[in-house]
Parts: sequence; C-alpha cells; structure tokens
Amino acid sequence: MAERRRYETTLIINAALEDQEIDAVISKVTKYIEDNGGEVENVKNMGRRRLAYPINKKYNGCYVHIQFLASSEFQTIYNKFLILEDTILRHLNLDLPDALIDYRKQRDLEAGKATAEKAEEKSE
Amino acid sequence: MSTIHPMQTGAAARTKNKNKPNPLGKQKVIDYMDIKFLNRFTNDQGRILPRRITGVSAYQQRRIALAIKYARHLALMPFVAQDIS
Repeated sequence: MAERRRYETTLIINAALEDQEIDAVISKVTKYIEDNGGEVENVKNMGRRRLAYPINKKYNGCYVHIQFLASSEFQTIYNKFLILEDTILRHLNLDLPDALIDYRKQRDLEAGKATAEKAEEKSE
Repeated sequence: MSTIHPMQTGAAARTKNKNKPNPLGKQKVIDYMDIKFLNRFTNDQGRILPRRITGVSAYQQRRIALAIKYARHLALMPFVAQDIS
C-alpha cells in the first residue's frame, strides 16, 4: 500500500457549458480520483470569472478547486486524464502542505470577521 | 536618516540608508489563489518586482515568484498587461 499524500487541483472549465454540464465534469473528475484509490476531501466551485488572457480563444472560465488524498503514482495518469478532457481548459495539480490549509482557514476567518463587523455597522 | 559621506561607497553606503522593515514579517506561506496579495509584488505591466523594491526575505521572494507563476498559468494574473493607456 503506497503512502497517500494530500493534493489540490484547480481546474478551469469551459464557461460556455451549462451548469449541469459543469457539475457533470466535476463529478467525472472526482469519480476518477476515487476509482483510482484516492479520497476526495473537499470540492469548491468558485464560479465563472474572466480570464486574465484568452485560452483557446475563450475569455471566460469556471474555476473549480478540488482537495484530495492520493498516492504519488496516481499523479502521472491523473495529469494525462485532465489533459485529454476537452472541457477543461487548464489545470494545476500541486502538493498541498498543511501550513497552506491553516493559512487559508485563518484568512477566511478574518475575512468573515471583517464582513460581520461591516454588517454590524450597517445595522447600527 | 543618517547622511552618507561623499567618500563612502559600496555596501556601507547602501546598508546605511536601508531602514525599511520587511512588509511580510515572518510569514512563510504564500497562497497562489490570493490575487490581491500577489498584485502588490508586480508592477502595472504585470512584471515581478525585484527584492530590493519589495523588501521581503529571499525565501519569501522565491515563494512569491513561484506563486505568481502559478497564478499566471491559471489565467488569474496576466503575463503581460495589455490595456495600459
């Protein structure tokens, strides 16, 4: 049994697709991870946003962030799978250190606090 | 604040003027998804600023440069900013 590590993948999916089709692509990717002995921890759909430069003549993309546990041997076939998927414009697959998870959690907490304070000011 | 003697050149002259604190402190983690944060380390052309201007540590500068390159790959940041008028 190979040792499993924590990874994160950010996908840019073609924004011209319908919401259901995008969900289908996400479930296809998560299913591929789970079929190959991985464990999906978190999936975050960040929605459509404008790209900083066009990719394949497309100006908008739907960003999806997936956090999962998998073996290092899985990464090579996984990257090939993502490249062959036509609906995915770009992907970035990285090792996810614990420090970055904590940093993001803390930042989200602070952002939540700031918005809560703003809401309080408004209500007052 | 200390004045530099006209005869003073080289490293001594440069270090004497440097009293800017590190803007990041001891922060070790850089998130490539945080565009607002990374934008502080690029100019309006989209180029990565050198360490003598950003004032961060060598370790932080390496991590920032890597994070900016990841963000460019994901089209979160531009390689070259186009609309400079």
